[in-house]
Amino acid sequence: MSGGTRLENANPLIFQRSGERRLTATDEDEDVADPIDDREIFDIFSKSINDPEHPLSLEELNVVEQMRVNVNDQESMVSVEFTPTIPHCSMATLIGLSIKVKLLRSLPDRFKIDVHITPGTHASEDAVNKQLADKERVAAALENSQLLEVVNQCLSSRAM
Amino acid sequence: MLCTFCELKTKVLSRQPQLLCACAAEFEAWLLFFRMAADNSVLLGLVEEFVSGQVDSKAAETVTGSALSLTSSQPQTRGRGVQLLSQVLQECYSSLSEKELEVLLAFYENRLKDHYVIIPHVLQGLKALTECSVLPPGSAVSILRSIFQDLHVQVNTFLKGLGADFIFGFVQSVDGERDPRNLLLAFQVARNIIHRGYGLGKFVEELFEVMSCYFPIDFSPVSTAVFQTASERVESAGLSAVSALVSCLSRSVLSSDSEDVLQVFLSLVLKDCQHHLCEPDLKLVWPSAKLLQAAAGASYRASLIVSAAVIPALLEQYNNRTQVRSLLMYFSLCLLHKHTEDSVLVAFQQSLCSVVFSALTESSAGLQVTATGVLTALGQQPGLLAQTDVEKAVDHLTRLILEEDDTKVSLAVVECSGSLAHLHPKAFISRLIPRLKEEILSGQSDAAVRQRCVTALASVSSLPSVVQESAPILLQVLASAHTGTHSFYSKISFLIIFSTLLFSYRSASRMASQAVSLFLDGDVSFLPENAFPSQIQLLQRKKQHLWDSSCHSFTSRQVEIPEIDRLLVQLEDLSCTCPHLFSYTSAAKCFAGLVNKRPAGEALDAVLERVMKRISVELENVSSAQRTQAFTLLLWVSKALLLRYHPLSTALTDKLFALLSDPALGSQVADGFCVLMSDSLDVLNRNCHADVRIMYRQRFFAENSTKLIQGFNSAEQEEKSCYLKALSHIVSNLPRQIQLTELPALLPLLLEALSCADQAVQLSTLSCLQPVLLEPPAAIRNQLEALFSRLLALTTSPVMKVRIASLQCVHALSRLPEHMVLPFRARVLKALAVPLDDKKRLVRIKAMVARGEWFLLGSPGGK
Repeated sequence: MSGGTRLENANPLIFQRSGERRLTATDEDEDVADPIDDREIFDIFSKSINDPEHPLSLEELNVVEQMRVNVNDQESMVSVEFTPTIPHCSMATLIGLSIKVKLLRSLPDRFKIDVHITPGTHASEDAVNKQLADKERVAAALENSQLLEVVNQCLSSRAM
Repeated sequence: MLCTFCELKTKVLSRQPQLLCACAAEFEAWLLFFRMAADNSVLLGLVEEFVSGQVDSKAAETVTGSALSLTSSQPQTRGRGVQLLSQVLQECYSSLSEKELEVLLAFYENRLKDHYVIIPHVLQGLKALTECSVLPPGSAVSILRSIFQDLHVQVNTFLKGLGADFIFGFVQSVDGERDPRNLLLAFQVARNIIHRGYGLGKFVEELFEVMSCYFPIDFSPVSTAVFQTASERVESAGLSAVSALVSCLSRSVLSSDSEDVLQVFLSLVLKDCQHHLCEPDLKLVWPSAKLLQAAAGASYRASLIVSAAVIPALLEQYNNRTQVRSLLMYFSLCLLHKHTEDSVLVAFQQSLCSVVFSALTESSAGLQVTATGVLTALGQQPGLLAQTDVEKAVDHLTRLILEEDDTKVSLAVVECSGSLAHLHPKAFISRLIPRLKEEILSGQSDAAVRQRCVTALASVSSLPSVVQESAPILLQVLASAHTGTHSFYSKISFLIIFSTLLFSYRSASRMASQAVSLFLDGDVSFLPENAFPSQIQLLQRKKQHLWDSSCHSFTSRQVEIPEIDRLLVQLEDLSCTCPHLFSYTSAAKCFAGLVNKRPAGEALDAVLERVMKRISVELENVSSAQRTQAFTLLLWVSKALLLRYHPLSTALTDKLFALLSDPALGSQVADGFCVLMSDSLDVLNRNCHADVRIMYRQRFFAENSTKLIQGFNSAEQEEKSCYLKALSHIVSNLPRQIQLTELPALLPLLLEALSCADQAVQLSTLSCLQPVLLEPPAAIRNQLEALFSRLLALTTSPVMKVRIASLQCVHALSRLPEHMVLPFRARVLKALAVPLDDKKRLVRIKAMVARGEWFLLGSPGGK
């Protein structure tokens, strides 16, 4: 989709995937409410978003880690930090956008979603963070059908 | 003293006010102030007031004039102040006295609550203070407590940065600690240190030494209540700290030339604890044992090392005293349970066995019980019990059954026999059973002994080979039971045996006849129920059930059951008249089982005719109290006939369909269809040699689906739900292919079922709908509107399972051809926003997945 034949990060380090979340007794109890926690948010996008260059999930490339996800259910706030694999990764905006879109589609409207680059890991993190934080820009981006196509390709379900 | 201080102050402040000097002067002043405060408790109190922010004290007046930055309102300024103080302290901490140190510590700990800008400097100062040699007892712990309490930044990263210094300081401060509350905290901190991966570096030894000197915990409490629980908590906290340490060390990665850290650590532990185990006074035996057990239990490697060192020593000492014996048993038990891989005890197999056997001959009940536990565990691991050992074990167990009358011991022995017999049946068959048989049938032993024998026989009978030997004995026992002299227990154990007769079993005719005759003739002594207490009634119910299952389960078709007609009559009576649910259901099941196997012919027809007449009469009588029993019998007989394709089955099932509209029985009948269609575990299945023809479900469905639909259409509104329930039971038990081909005809019914208020119906409909939607037939295109409305409505059902199932169906619908489902996209996306915020996580996950798929539908790059 980028059109180029050379990959930016041809030989990435691959990290281990975390296992499935364990079911507990309260999960199946009708009367107990399960709060939204970090693990749940992490599971939303970590395994199901493809990296644009490789057939690997963001988790496997350590672009996202559960530690860098923070959610506050009561205050309806979610914050996700992601780490591009190399400091000059040109796909950083795309990755960030995919995460943001995935969360927008998967969380209730009340949530305020903040997606940004882990500080110190990218050359133009300020610019990228600014774009991701701007609601109008994100909405405009999604109306661009080429960009939407690319994002959707990243989000297309993978066999797990 | 204050005058001296004022003099000092003026002297100090009269110097040329260069910036640095002024600051230095200020801090010298403070230092003097603290020094004095240490000597004078009044001043100490003033310091306290100071640090808590109250500025208007007498001593404060004397120094406020010099614009002390420590009390400035600007956090930056305060920070600089603390920073300089800390730097000064770093230079001169060695010259501080204990009291001064106390004051400074109080000040610093208090400053931890201050603004975050100041904290790093505070921590620096604290670090300097902790390096003092005269640190008062308990202060390190209280520092740590304040740190963990008051600091909100990432303490871990900071403390890890301090690294080895921190560990060293911690170890030093815990050394010699006496207050149990501090000890508790210290152990918890140690655990945290280990678990959070602080580099222990070269301080492993020191850390262990400082922890281990508290074992064994010899505690003379100052005030009983608080300290007693404290000592237990301290002990268990300490043990878990050791355990954590060992498991961490076991997982550490070694370089090729470094020594094994785990070995080093465990040799320390063993050095300390081992000699206690063999001491003459055995004062510290149990605490040492607990410590060793905590270490050994932490990992496989550790258990190997510990057992290799400890077990031989214990074995040697075994003969000398009882304590050692219990200890050895206790140890072995722990080791056997913890690790189920190749046992660590293989090397000691022989000696361990002989020790266990000798323990079984001891008189101490506790020891015997533990020994049986060890024996069971030994038996369960391969390679630990040789054939000769098994035989010896069986002999011991036999002896104990016959001679030992302590209840705890005999219970343990019975359990042990049960589990060992399952693994080594031959030894039991050849040695235990003949002995017990002799005892039981001799007629001379007393009641308690006989009871134990019977109970033991029952517990060992878990395999067919054993049952073959034991069952005849027990049959004889029960035969003599009609004299009423035998205890309740023998009957129960007998029944337990019979329940294991569900195994396939040839050449059972002799047993069958015995069983039947007992049932029929033995009945006399057990009826009527009213005269007997409830225990006997319970017994009777159990007896019925087990008799029934035994009768029809273990006989193959070729086996002639004697007096079968008489049996059938009795069972029919029982199932139609008995008020107990369990009894009449099992009587009906037994009847059905026998009918299913009975060869076709006049005899069978006669039986069927008679039973049908009786059932019809009963059912038509609307006010009869036994309609449920009659219906149950009808259901099971229908199933029996349906399975074998008997021509009468149609008549019976028609009757069942008719009953769906019965106001009283309707919903029971609907549930009964589940019984009719699904596999039952205890009767009328292939394991019990029932006559089951292939594809009976498909045949049933094919013959009756139109009837069902017609019945539904003509039914009253209230009755429709019964039809739907029946339908969903039938369809959900069909094989997938049939479901797919039949769907067009059934779809309107299934859609109706979705709007039925009964949640069970909704759930079963959804579960049969979902696989069909994955490969949907063309007929579905006309029903989409109805389908979507119903499914989306169910996503907010009060039942969690229904919400999940309907979300799965919505997800499946996204796979239909785009042109069919695209018009619904907007509606679905909107509706699915609601379950995204569902209170159950499982529902949210399904909603997310479904909604994600629907977003991609028809979107560029989506599919």
